Amino acid sequence: MKPLAGLRIADFTVHAAGPFCTHMLSQLGAECIKIESALRPDIFRKPHAVYGRMGPASFDQVASNKLSIRLNLKDRRGVELAKRLVAVSDVACESFRPGVMDRLGLGWKDLSAIRPNLVMTSVSSSGQTGPDAHFAGYAPLFGAWGALGWLTGYVDGPPVEMRHVMDHSVGMNAAMATLAAVQHLRRTGEGGHVDVSAREVAASLNGEAMLLAAAGGEPHRLGNEHPRMAPHGVYHSRDRDRWLTIAVHSDAAWQAFARVIGRPDLAADPRFRSEADRHARRDVLDVEIERWAATRDADAAAAELQAAGVAAHVSATIHDVVHDGHLRERGMVIDVDDLEGNRRAALSVPVRFSRSQTGLDRGTPRLGEDEDHVFGELLGLGKAERDALVDAQVIY
Amino acid sequence: MARSTVGLPLAGLNVVELSRGVGAAYAGRLLATLGAETLLVEPPGGTPLRREPPFLPGTAEVGALFSYLAAGKGSVVCDLADAEGRADFEALLSTADVFLCDLPLDERGRLGLDDHDLRVRHPRLVSVSVLPFGAVGSKAHWDGEEINLIHAAGEGYLLPNGLSAELFPDRPPLKIHGHFAEMQGGIVAALGALAALLADGGGAAGRRVEGQGVDVSIQDATLAVGAFAVQRYGDGSLEHRVTRSFKYGGVLECADGYVELLTLEERQWRGLVDLMERPTWALDPRLADPLERSRRGAEINAEIRAWARTHTTADLVTRAQRLGVPMAKYASPADVVAGEHERARGLFQTVEIPGFGPCQTLVAPFHVGDAPLRLRAGPPRLGESQDRITAPIGTTQKQAVEAR
Repeated sequence: MKPLAGLRIADFTVHAAGPFCTHMLSQLGAECIKIESALRPDIFRKPHAVYGRMGPASFDQVASNKLSIRLNLKDRRGVELAKRLVAVSDVACESFRPGVMDRLGLGWKDLSAIRPNLVMTSVSSSGQTGPDAHFAGYAPLFGAWGALGWLTGYVDGPPVEMRHVMDHSVGMNAAMATLAAVQHLRRTGEGGHVDVSAREVAASLNGEAMLLAAAGGEPHRLGNEHPRMAPHGVYHSRDRDRWLTIAVHSDAAWQAFARVIGRPDLAADPRFRSEADRHARRDVLDVEIERWAATRDADAAAAELQAAGVAAHVSATIHDVVHDGHLRERGMVIDVDDLEGNRRAALSVPVRFSRSQTGLDRGTPRLGEDEDHVFGELLGLGKAERDALVDAQVIY
Repeated sequence: MARSTVGLPLAGLNVVELSRGVGAAYAGRLLATLGAETLLVEPPGGTPLRREPPFLPGTAEVGALFSYLAAGKGSVVCDLADAEGRADFEALLSTADVFLCDLPLDERGRLGLDDHDLRVRHPRLVSVSVLPFGAVGSKAHWDGEEINLIHAAGEGYLLPNGLSAELFPDRPPLKIHGHFAEMQGGIVAALGALAALLADGGGAAGRRVEGQGVDVSIQDATLAVGAFAVQRYGDGSLEHRVTRSFKYGGVLECADGYVELLTLEERQWRGLVDLMERPTWALDPRLADPLERSRRGAEINAEIRAWARTHTTADLVTRAQRLGVPMAKYASPADVVAGEHERARGLFQTVEIPGFGPCQTLVAPFHVGDAPLRLRAGPPRLGESQDRITAPIGTTQKQAVEAR
């Protein structure tokens, strides 16, 4: 059985961060009911030319495993049905711009009045409160507001924009905070509103730099350098655009590293004796390592370094990741069938339990695929009533 | 002064953390901030995280990373190399709901802390393992630091894109600042711990929970948040840092810093044209077609960049916000600490940092309930919660530990 079996989520989320939150909870066993409408199809149901996809997605990594129903929330009757669904759910999740759910009559005040012990999770760009609460944004903007973009970059270069990992980290935080609220609900019977701010997630991921700045220090862009370790970096192997990452974290690892690269002279060299010495002369060491790495196969070199106790890994492409034996052994990368019947790689939830099950049971739902179950069984609507609501474009 | 945790979502939950790295420490920090009583178990010299630079100004040994990650936790010293220390540690585990551990597998085996041993001695315990590559699989014994892990998960190879990739096309790919991947491991570990506590209807008052092991891999956690690249691969596209750059917009240099500009929708492009005060080049009717704009991205970018350099960040983002153009200043950490919005939301809280003094510390990226969460304290002094080992350690227990 999955750990969250029995937990029902009314899922109003759109775009990336919010749906990723409920996608995680769904794979952990929650029954996640995605509320959609043909009036405003979610991003995966339409072309996404910016990313080169000219038709709807045949598989969507953040919608798979969910149940789908249609509800036109611009119609009062659609909103009433949404409220009835929330009344039989434990959790409601949404990711509209703050104020939108209130205007629909589906804000925290409305929904907690219907179900006093509801857990509601709102995911937004800047949070539900504060002077910038109305700001809309995307992952690169979250990273910019939260200083993660400013801190990322080559030492002599500009800031770097954060991409999807930023959105999904927001969703992962939201999933975790939602479960904390569910834990509170189980213990006390009280619900609560979880307010996740994407720009604050970006800031939380560099909390140590914030603290340094607050203390009067001056954090800055470090590129691939580490404030303590050397050698530490990404080195070009013998093959085109094939890179090897190395982090020498201790004196013992340094000795082993020098041995593997066939340079015992470096290990014996008093200029590189202590970690501080190596860090101070890291440029000199990097030249030596680049020379060695340029003759080596990156995968073989990583395996050899690991065997000697040195932290190393190839810079993996997504092709490498999808075909990685270790990730498949762990069930993190799996194969699924998409809506067109094609086999493709997908990701599972990144947690393994000794007793509980997890993972995908089905792929992307067709729009409204689960209305018999949700409208029929959960809400008790008769066929005639449903047909009338379809005709009136309430279920639409 | 220590604050009360009554009313916090995880009040009453006991967490024992045996950590050396950022992943497990961040999991403990998240659970502590949500109200769990979190006790960091350290060796006699303290956890190695205490010695990680950068150090706070004017100190030689107060680390910013440890101060951030350990805020709100207690600290006890247990020397696991000796029997008494192991007995103390067992006593702590017997009172814990959740155990967070990032010791390498062979070391766990030597200490009797692998999952099977823990199940036998502490059947109700949720024991969470956080390792670079997880506790199962052919790389379970591999070592990994942040730079290795962000690349093992595929995101490292995809960075930088945009302006940095254009400026430095021949440089090695670039990691995200700090401990992005390891922190994903921490967030997932906290998620896994809470899911395990809730399993089988767990968490309800009076209900006994059967414990279980939770296996978290930092590589998996980082790959999970990179899901779109795997989806794109299934669609037939192999992403690369250069080709995944936005066609135009992105990082723009201004007179006094940088802004991010991203226009995905038509109305946002029209807003941008207004923001630039409708220059002749942008009024070319062919540019009304998004595909044409995409084709002429480099040309558009040259114009936008030249324009941005003559403006200040504050001027641009204020006007962009009014026109509905998604734009943000690349804020420095100091900007964020001083931010009005952040202050209004209580993102930072002043806590006492031993060896330094009071300092503003980021609390959490979410609120639960009507008010911001509050840290119960700053980072602990080494062993400051030693009185938590109060349960008398019986000889039987000691012998049991020694017998291993």
